[in-house]
Amino acid sequence: MADRYNPQVIEHLVRPRRVGEVSEASGVGESGDAACGDVARFSVRIESKVLTDVRYKVYGCAACIAAGSALAELVNGEPLLGAARVSKQDLQEALGGPLSLGKEHALTLVLDALHKAFEDHLNREAGDILVEGYGGAANSGAKGVVAAMSGGVDSAVTALLLKEAGYEVVTVTFRLHDGEKGSRSCCSPDTVLFARDTAHRMRLPHFTLNLKELFNKRVMRDFVGSYRQGRTPNPCVACNAHVKFHAAAFLADRLGFKKVATGHYAKVADGPALARPVDERKDQTYVLWPIPRELLKRAIFPLGDYRKTEVRRIAEERGLAVAYTPESQDICFIPDGDYRGYVRKKVKVEPGDVVDREGAVLGRHEGVVDFTIGQRRGIGVSASTPLYVTEVRPQTNQVVVGRRQDLEVREVRVRGLNWFLDPREARFVQVRYNSAPVACEIEKGEASGEWVARLAEPAAGVAPGQSAVFYTGDGKRVVGGGVVASRET
Amino acid sequence: MEHAVYLDNAATTPLDQRVLEAMLPYLRGGRGNPSSLHAAGAAARDAVEVARGAVAAMLGANPEEILFTAGGTEADNLAVLGLARAASPEKRHVVVSRVEHAAVREAARRLESEGFEVTSLGVDADGLVDPAKFAGALRPETALAAVVWANNEVGTVEPIEELAQICAERGIPLHADAVQATGRLPLDVGEVPVATLAISAHKLYGPQGAGALYVREGIPLEPLVFGGGQERGLRSGTENVAGLVGLGEASRLADRELEERAWHERRLRDRILAGATAIPGVRVNGHPEKRLSNNAHLTVEGVEAEGLVLFVDSLGYAVGNGSACASGSAGHKASPVLLAMGRDEREAFSSVRVTVGKDNTDEEVEGFLEAFSAAVARLRELSPLYTRVES
Repeated sequence: MADRYNPQVIEHLVRPRRVGEVSEASGVGESGDAACGDVARFSVRIESKVLTDVRYKVYGCAACIAAGSALAELVNGEPLLGAARVSKQDLQEALGGPLSLGKEHALTLVLDALHKAFEDHLNREAGDILVEGYGGAANSGAKGVVAAMSGGVDSAVTALLLKEAGYEVVTVTFRLHDGEKGSRSCCSPDTVLFARDTAHRMRLPHFTLNLKELFNKRVMRDFVGSYRQGRTPNPCVACNAHVKFHAAAFLADRLGFKKVATGHYAKVADGPALARPVDERKDQTYVLWPIPRELLKRAIFPLGDYRKTEVRRIAEERGLAVAYTPESQDICFIPDGDYRGYVRKKVKVEPGDVVDREGAVLGRHEGVVDFTIGQRRGIGVSASTPLYVTEVRPQTNQVVVGRRQDLEVREVRVRGLNWFLDPREARFVQVRYNSAPVACEIEKGEASGEWVARLAEPAAGVAPGQSAVFYTGDGKRVVGGGVVASRET
Repeated sequence: MEHAVYLDNAATTPLDQRVLEAMLPYLRGGRGNPSSLHAAGAAARDAVEVARGAVAAMLGANPEEILFTAGGTEADNLAVLGLARAASPEKRHVVVSRVEHAAVREAARRLESEGFEVTSLGVDADGLVDPAKFAGALRPETALAAVVWANNEVGTVEPIEELAQICAERGIPLHADAVQATGRLPLDVGEVPVATLAISAHKLYGPQGAGALYVREGIPLEPLVFGGGQERGLRSGTENVAGLVGLGEASRLADRELEERAWHERRLRDRILAGATAIPGVRVNGHPEKRLSNNAHLTVEGVEAEGLVLFVDSLGYAVGNGSACASGSAGHKASPVLLAMGRDEREAFSSVRVTVGKDNTDEEVEGFLEAFSAAVARLRELSPLYTRVES
């Protein structure tokens, strides 16, 4: 059924404002596609963090044309931060009230095009540093913070708590890969749109940064490469090491802000050192160890003082729609959880032998990428006692299996260390996510940059590629961390 | 605001004043139920029968072959569902074209859920059904076929006579939706052996809410509405007397004025086609000759239909954007008719339907062309999908 439009909509349709393209634009953004029926394009010129010129074009229904016109008029001449805060509600008001059912998407479409123009501007400014990596620059002491916003409850409450604590909060969502749920379809909910909506409901400016190239280079390719080399990668660690904090710091530097925040469950102790959060079950210090010290100095993790149940309650009390979003999955770029399938699509996989420690062939396997140290299922060899994968040898395409006690190690070699405290403070090491730390003593290894942890009791299933994170004697603070090195044969 | 110039006659036609005059006595006073024995009832019954005679005369049918309904959609539903359900049990197959009005398309879909197999017959780029392909789709177990006489969107006129002959030879009933064809094409069921045919009063300068289904004598039909047994038990319910009187008068006038209306419409329509296609990137959809006298269906490159319709509306001209759409919502679907003709979704979303009527004037058409051209220019300036064609 055709619905009637507000007179403001018709007015904007018949006399659209600010139509066209900005010459020598700072950023250009486009949203929607023709098959879907609507396309919006915004171009902006940004000088001294002010939108000095905004132009738009729309192919689409009357609501889209009018929404584009109203938005261009609203943000032209505004400071960038003010413009990034303009919400669907603001736009709706400018159009004389709610649009008819099924037309609200017009607001989303034009806002998305404008925000993509901002993103284009920021990515242009970043140039290669958001591809090659960013270490941070000198920054002022303003009480401003860039809060990373994934669209989930944790990051939303993070931004909210900071705002309530008096910070000037700017939110940012990173485009990391093309596999986000729904991102292929222009009309379905997209995590970026959801995150933006959440930020705007809190009256916070929202930006996006395109980090796909950086993420692909530092996280996804490493993920596939690790499996091929018989290691068990942790992509969240790689992302924290090279992507997320660097990008947030980049944006903070552009805005003259000092701090960056994420919704991780961890604390920053003096040092700075990473410290365990109040909610031990949600502890994410194990994946945060690679944050460079300079960035940890700038980091705030407001959720370190809260339990997850409290976080959800806060979201509910403040009426955040994200209160009910499900827990995020292990690996964000493999939403179906089938990471073996993912790896198999990326690399050539060949069958090989399943052997015992002595080299006797016990069976065949379909590819080393299917195996991880400590694995018991899917070995395909029957034996009187349960068999475990004890080693993966990509060079000879062999999977070595053995008994449970064969898995146990007394010594873990660690490389690529990032120390927050003096290494001599290390008393415990954690070698798997959510496993109990084991008492240890550490010393420098033979290879350069390598450290060896001697365990007080044997640990099973220590897989090369996973992280080894060292904690202080009280178990509360992270001394440093590194990556478990491969066994040498 | 003064009334807009109305160029959306395929959606509904304005009520003819003569039709209104004929209806008024039945709205004002003397409200009898045609089923009552008393004089008021008899008068109402007579009025309904006069209307039936007028409709029958327009179609070349016997009055007993005319069933009154509450409109075209009901007539189409009654035909498609009624013919299928009345067919012998082994006949579980239905053929419909891919350019049917939703009233037929959705009724066929309903039959599918009842276990009928439905063949959706494609059309060529102009929207025409190929009689040979049509014949090929028919089977011994085909319960009915349905093809629109003239398409409601692009105005293409189908070879109904040939299709009806093919069906008649095989004893398969053919339903023709003639809602748009009525009053524009001479319809004669004596020459065209359709089994059933649907018409609607409000596309004929009559009132909304009245229609009829022609059912050839001897064709079995299952009713959809049960009750007091009106309309030979095939459509129970007290008759909409004033509405049917309106339908009758509208039919009588349409029959009498058919040629001059069609000639007038065609002249205006051709002017619109010529004027609109003079704008670069504007194309006509539907068959160049075999099309309704009043239909100009245009694809405007780079411009979405809704904005265009509302833009020219703001300038005082009412035209249609084909099938109603709710952009971005689940209802935002490209017209199945245009897709069946091989147009892509972007073309479908960029199409408008301009349909003239008997009362439109040359000045109105010239004024429209000016408004249309201004709107297209403005919206193309706005469109990121349109790059100016080199002139």
